[in-house]
Amino acid sequence: MREPSIEAVHLSRRFGSFQAVNDVSFSVARGEIFGYLGANGAGKSSTIRMLCGLLAPTDGEARVAGFDVKAEPESVKASIGYMSQKFSLYLDLPVRANIEFFGGAYGLSGPSFAARADEVLRLCDLEHEGDAITGSLPGGIRQRLALGCAILHQPAVLFLDEPTAGVDPVSRRHFWRFIRSLAREDSTIFVTTHYLDEAEYCGRIGLMVDGRLVALDTPAALKRRYVPGRVLAVRGHNLASAATSLRRRPGIIAVEPFGAGLHLQVAADDWNADSVAHALTSAGAQAVQVEAGEPTLEDVFLAVVARPREAHAQ
Amino acid sequence: MIARPRWSVQLRAVVRKEVRQTVRDRRIMFMLIVAPLLQTVVFGFAVDFQFDRVPTLVVDHDASAQSRQHIRRLLADGTLRDAGRTSELHEVERRLQTGDTAAALILPAGLARALAAQRPAEVQVILDGGDPNRAVVVAGAAARYFGETAEAMVKERLALHGITPPPLIRATPRIWFNPTLKTPPYMIPGVMTILLVITTTLVTAMGLAREREMGTLEQVLVTPIRPLFLLVGKMTPFLVIGCFDVLLVLTAGVWIFGVPLHGSLLLVATGTVLYVLSTLGIGLLISTVSRTQQQAFLAGFLFAMPAILLSGVMTPIRAMPLWLQVVTFFNPVRYYVEVLRAVLLKGAGLHDIWWRLLALLGFGVALLTIASLRFHKRVA
Amino acid sequence: MTGPARFLVRVAAMASKEVTHIRRDPRTLYMALAMPVVMLLIFGFGVSFDMDRIPLVVLDGDRSVASRSLVRAVSAGHEFAIAADSDEATALCMIRRGQALAALAIPTGYERHLSAGRDGEVQLIVDGADGVVANQILAKIDGLVRAESLRRIDLGAEPPLQVKVFTLFNPEARSALFMVPGLAVYLLAIAAVLLTALTVSGEWERGSMEQLFASPVGRLEIVLGKLLPYLGLGMLQLLLVVAVGAVIFDVPIRGSAPLLFFVGFLFLVGMLGQGLFISVVARSQLVATQAGALSSLLPSLLLSGMLVPIENMPRILQALSAVIPARYFVHALRGIMLKGSGLSILWTDLVALTVFALIILALATARFRRRLA
Repeated sequence: MREPSIEAVHLSRRFGSFQAVNDVSFSVARGEIFGYLGANGAGKSSTIRMLCGLLAPTDGEARVAGFDVKAEPESVKASIGYMSQKFSLYLDLPVRANIEFFGGAYGLSGPSFAARADEVLRLCDLEHEGDAITGSLPGGIRQRLALGCAILHQPAVLFLDEPTAGVDPVSRRHFWRFIRSLAREDSTIFVTTHYLDEAEYCGRIGLMVDGRLVALDTPAALKRRYVPGRVLAVRGHNLASAATSLRRRPGIIAVEPFGAGLHLQVAADDWNADSVAHALTSAGAQAVQVEAGEPTLEDVFLAVVARPREAHAQ
Repeated sequence: MIARPRWSVQLRAVVRKEVRQTVRDRRIMFMLIVAPLLQTVVFGFAVDFQFDRVPTLVVDHDASAQSRQHIRRLLADGTLRDAGRTSELHEVERRLQTGDTAAALILPAGLARALAAQRPAEVQVILDGGDPNRAVVVAGAAARYFGETAEAMVKERLALHGITPPPLIRATPRIWFNPTLKTPPYMIPGVMTILLVITTTLVTAMGLAREREMGTLEQVLVTPIRPLFLLVGKMTPFLVIGCFDVLLVLTAGVWIFGVPLHGSLLLVATGTVLYVLSTLGIGLLISTVSRTQQQAFLAGFLFAMPAILLSGVMTPIRAMPLWLQVVTFFNPVRYYVEVLRAVLLKGAGLHDIWWRLLALLGFGVALLTIASLRFHKRVA
Repeated sequence: MTGPARFLVRVAAMASKEVTHIRRDPRTLYMALAMPVVMLLIFGFGVSFDMDRIPLVVLDGDRSVASRSLVRAVSAGHEFAIAADSDEATALCMIRRGQALAALAIPTGYERHLSAGRDGEVQLIVDGADGVVANQILAKIDGLVRAESLRRIDLGAEPPLQVKVFTLFNPEARSALFMVPGLAVYLLAIAAVLLTALTVSGEWERGSMEQLFASPVGRLEIVLGKLLPYLGLGMLQLLLVVAVGAVIFDVPIRGSAPLLFFVGFLFLVGMLGQGLFISVVARSQLVATQAGALSSLLPSLLLSGMLVPIENMPRILQALSAVIPARYFVHALRGIMLKGSGLSILWTDLVALTVFALIILALATARFRRRLA
């Protein structure tokens, strides 16, 4: 049984009176793609910073790549790669200069590094951009460079904080294909994202709400647990007011706007597509079409994050 | 690769990056190369503490041959300049008020006759005391001329009576190191000092703050680079440029303004390096506590202003009250300008200025140490 | 509502918004009020040419009654203090080290010469490296030696020709009266430019300026609305600074105080306008701050007559100083405070300041337009 790649034990971080991360514990195995989700301000970035050795925990412990983040932060840093949320490479330098700098920062030099630099440029599809000024490249290409700089030293663990923010869908696909190939080569990937369709790629997902880790499991298990009912997709006209009256009915677990229509979660025993359509039409909706849907991670997210907050507010 | 990264590789990477960034930034290059030359020329020509051709109004109520001769002789050496004649006192007042003239010489009616009759006579000089430096010079010139004239008259009269005139004490000025009392030899070292503190302190102060603002700092902090290297890397290009600037200004000073080079250039170089270490240290210290570039710039600027004005660059430290003189002991700018002036103008040697060099070294080391301690590796 | 009334209402709205901003930003208030006063206190004391107890090395090669009498005459007062009584080599060393600034060299045979009826020759050695001070020292020692010379002679009657010196405006020849008005102008200039550069370009970066442009507020209204609160702050600064000068440094206000504040008002409009113009042109807050500081630092220091008289400068620089508002305000401030000058003398300064203010405001307003379209 191999030692876990990342291990957090009662990890906490307080800023003044604000508890940003509250008693978070989990472990991530080698080669796993671990997703970390949560609303803005839930504590994801603080958690990552602690795991990277950038921020000291105010309580609890964490081990990354076998090193304690509090006691041996330098060793942690030498073994991880980090891609931050905001692009943080040097915009005024050419691509190659950024690669050379970060390589040097990790102690890489000489012909072996030169070869690795070329390889990374190739892997990130940047072979022809070597001399381009980083700031002149579009956002998606810059992200590739950031990833490239993070993997120069072939780290055991890779932390990616919203790596595909603002990137087009095709590039995102390429990106995740690459991530998965890295995972297959035994790199551990710890990723946060707001793109819930991407989160499906993760082996396991942790959900943070207000500093606490409230859910941790595989996507399928999370869906089974938090979206227990039948999922229905509804299209039609005048759905808004009909939906309001539907919400109060027993057996209706959730009614969420989805695109131009609705996403419903209903108790499988009480409702089905036809009964729902009927209920909506009698409440004033028109041209109602109801189809069976698949639970998505967005449903999970809403169930875990949004609805308790609404309930709390009420 | 989990092995401890070699420090030489890291250091080289940081320095290379800093140099690349500095060279690419046109604004910085302008400030570091064009601005110094500009400042040298402007300072060198603008600042002239030597007073000559001070506009002097002449009121000659006597209008005799002797009075005219006295006036001519007084104005001869060029310290005073003839700003015109008038016979009205209120004209004198008016022109002193507007600042049009700085002094007025009033020769009373009957002056020549009184002197011929060996009766005591008095001339008056009215000065605009607004600029005390200038007033001192004008008063001195008048006192000297009329004093010598009076002495000569006394001698003459006594000789006429057959009495040997009593001896006087003659004082001859001997001006060491800058015989013509030109201002540029005094100012150019001041320019070098000011230049270095503004460029090195301000620019390094903003350097780290800029990385923090742009977000690149976080990315660098996540790597195993030691914080000390970051600071050293930030300093290196400016150490080189600072020394280059000094060379540039010194050359311009020597060529254009005739600044002497009496002492050892090696001492100048040593002093420069130590001074730059201090100013860089201050800049880095400021940058470690500034969140934004603007805060860093303002802090650096608000440090540089008093540091320059209270360093003896423009006005002498001896003219400051005691408590301020004590404060200047902590001002590296003071030591450097003293070293420069002592070595370049007075030919001072190591044994003359060693403690100043030591002070600069001490400041440099202390500031850099504090800066690196303050520099938290953890973004907290 | 009529046109002009609407204009005023909009300007008032802009101004009161700015006031709210200022109240919430303590940094601005500090910069505006505390910094100039603190700096004036420090510089008022520190930046001066008045030296006392100047260290003098005595090179008494004669060691006679007469020579000691001369030495006593020179060192009796507060102008000079004897730093050492030694030889020329020591004097050279001490002057090199900055431990002494001058030396009085009395040669061997001094008393003998005097007794024999010949003039006694002494030398006044002065450190020429400190040019500023050398003149002062020379004049002072010269005066003291001459006085001693005359004392020895005992002319019996009055000397045949005397000079009576009247020093107007600053009879005690205090540096403070010369420096403090200059420093006040210098500090106000920097504070004013920095203030507007800081705050206005901040709005550019935050994007709230664009918001304004989407509303019917015109460019001139924006410029004036931003200017007014800082003008108020500036006048407050001026008041504080003049008060400090009067109370702590004993700088009188011999002329008309209302005139002083009116000239100050014109000056501030110009400097604030300069800051505004810079921040309109600059692409970022950082650049605006740098440009503002550096564009007000050197000219106000060197070319305003604050430190060195303008007549001493070469023609080109004299011409350049004609476009620096600080020059006019320094002249006017010194005139009003020290000389009691009135409007009849200072009207040229007023005109110059007004012209500068109008031009810079026009430029700032015009430049605003280009950024919009």
